[in-house]
Amino acid sequence: MKLLVCIKQVPDLESRFKPDAAGVWYNETDLAFRMNEYDEYAVEQAVQLREKLGEGTELTVLSIGPDRVVEALKKALAMGCDNAAHIQDPAASGKDPWQIASIIAAYAKDKGFDVIFTGMQSQDRGSAQVGVTIAEQLGLACTTTIVSFDYDNGTITAKRELEGGIKGVVKLKTPALVTCQLGLNVPRYPTLPNIMKAKKKEITAIPVVELLREEALATTASFHPPAKKGGGIVLEGDVSDLVDKVIAILKDKTAVLR
Amino acid sequence: MNFELSQDHKVLQSAVRDFVEKEIKPIAMKIDEDHMIPDSLVTKMSEMGLLGSYLPEEYGGAGLDMLSYAIVVEEVSKACGSSGVLISAHTSLASGPIYTFGTEEQKKKWLPALNTGEKIGCFLLTEPDAGSDAGGTATTYTRDGDHSVINGSKTFITNGGYLGTGVLLASYDRSLKHKGITAFIVDLSSPGVTILKNENKMGIRGSYTTAFAFDNLRVPVENLLGQEGKGFNVAMDTLNGGRIGIASQALGIAEGAFERALAYSKERKQFGQAISEFQAIQFKLADMWTSIETSKLLVYRAAWLKDNKKNYTMESAMCKMHASETATFVTKEAIQIHGGYGYIVDYEVERMYRDAKITEIYEGTNEVQRVVISKLLLS
Ligand SMILES: Cc1cc2nc3c(=O)[nH]c(=O)nc-3n(C[C@H](O)[C@H](O)[C@H](O)COP(=O)(O)OP(=O)(O)OC[C@H]3O[C@@H](n4cnc5c(N)ncnc54)[C@H](O)[C@@H]3O)c2cc1C
Repeated sequence: MKLLVCIKQVPDLESRFKPDAAGVWYNETDLAFRMNEYDEYAVEQAVQLREKLGEGTELTVLSIGPDRVVEALKKALAMGCDNAAHIQDPAASGKDPWQIASIIAAYAKDKGFDVIFTGMQSQDRGSAQVGVTIAEQLGLACTTTIVSFDYDNGTITAKRELEGGIKGVVKLKTPALVTCQLGLNVPRYPTLPNIMKAKKKEITAIPVVELLREEALATTASFHPPAKKGGGIVLEGDVSDLVDKVIAILKDKTAVLR
Repeated sequence: MNFELSQDHKVLQSAVRDFVEKEIKPIAMKIDEDHMIPDSLVTKMSEMGLLGSYLPEEYGGAGLDMLSYAIVVEEVSKACGSSGVLISAHTSLASGPIYTFGTEEQKKKWLPALNTGEKIGCFLLTEPDAGSDAGGTATTYTRDGDHSVINGSKTFITNGGYLGTGVLLASYDRSLKHKGITAFIVDLSSPGVTILKNENKMGIRGSYTTAFAFDNLRVPVENLLGQEGKGFNVAMDTLNGGRIGIASQALGIAEGAFERALAYSKERKQFGQAISEFQAIQFKLADMWTSIETSKLLVYRAAWLKDNKKNYTMESAMCKMHASETATFVTKEAIQIHGGYGYIVDYEVERMYRDAKITEIYEGTNEVQRVVISKLLLS
């Protein structure tokens, strides 16, 4: 079987965002990037399926973007993907979901992937359109926001999270695409030995011009960084310790408790 | 010249950072309070490959380089200095010399269990009456058939309490001073090994610091590490590499404290403004960060020199000295920025201050580092 997982690298959301020169997206200078959270669930699920199917299964991880996205690809390889495709595009952040999906669809078209995994949405753009649009362009069955996944003999059984915490179960025949949501799994850490092994795995670089056929359908007109938040205290640790800490703070700094 | 980490090093850094954030940071305070790193954490660190970072894959290590190792110890120490030194002593002081000086059989026999964390490693040099002056080693051995029989005592042994695999220095003739010293690989679960005590300490309280007595400990001759009478060289070479680990630990402790101080300075309001608006606090932050960045350059460079098989004796002494003094300075200032809250356990910077001090003492006091550096300058 052939599996594909599509990932995006996004900035750490705790960063201070400033608009870029054109004022249509954020300025990337000084930002730290990491794998989009939902894509981590997608990679983990793809690797689990890869492990379950064993020999004869090939799992490819794909990312579109500048050189820095190779870091995200290397992480996915260290988590257990077999090989990677880096669609080189320094201008990826300016493309709309339609273009991104069409680039991936153009890459995947003749490759015969049985299952494609994507995140539910990206943390920075948040359109939640890329996965479903790829499926549409490739004519695949598709389901979104999955929180559990099972595969057996050509059929995927997935639990979907619906509004208000209700869950629904869907079944779909492969080839299919699923978009992954928080709660699906706990992504593994890339271990040091696997980081080393990943160095020997192949990363194929493909210039985006070879795959891009479509014009943007929706262009971003302007970008607005979030307003500065007031200072707060973030407590961390065991729940029991946290309770003590909250009580201590309430006693200390408020008149609520004495 | 390129001062950026490679993409592979960045992947490693962020993987370790995520691991530390989830698995170590939440329990760092408890590790200090309990004087104990939970076994479950040692297991998780082993599974993550943190205990064999730069040892080759053929011996069960991860096969990465010294810079990766420095990053591992740094990232872990940002949250927990005790866990940082567990990794450092284990890797550079036990696996390190076995890899550097061991025969093929010795490497095959001892390294896999160390690299997977099945055995925790330690280095047994210091004695009650031989600290900075390691040539004064009074633990002796005599030959009895195909065994060496070791008698004496060792003190302040990091990781000793695990009774795993040790690299031990003993003399066959004390009158020869450092020329009579030989290194051995010892299985500390053998008869003849007694733990006198695990010390109660100011800082790195989760780490074992063990005093041992050896009473007719029988070590097979094939466990002799390097050559007879060349143990002092083994020890000095080992400490050279080890200082990069301790410098990384110190760097991490400083960064951990800085992160908290910076955040606190923006949160805490006095006189109607965040204390970070006061120049007195701003200048502290500037000094702290500059020392941290200087230390980082020295540490990464020393690691780079070792990776590139260049001489690094002076650089490892400098990075250890500078990073450790940065750690005590930065943690002290971090408490000051926190005011009274900094003195309270819950804010964690007081622990970091206590953890930082040892980095100026072990693997050669900073006075000894200055001796090493100045000797090389004047030679
Ligand atoms: C928590 C902890 C963990 C440790 N872990 C290990 C371990 O795993 N393995 C191990 O073998 N050892 C370990 N040590 C021992 C440590 O390396 C020694 O404590 C250190 O080398 C100093 O030796 P000492 O304590 O005997 O001090 P001394 O050598 O007695 O030094 C006392 C003072 O005199 C100064 N001094 C000594 N000689 C000179 C000189 N020539 N010039 C100028 N000043 C000098 C020193 O700098 C120091 O300020 C550990 C110690 C501690 C506290």
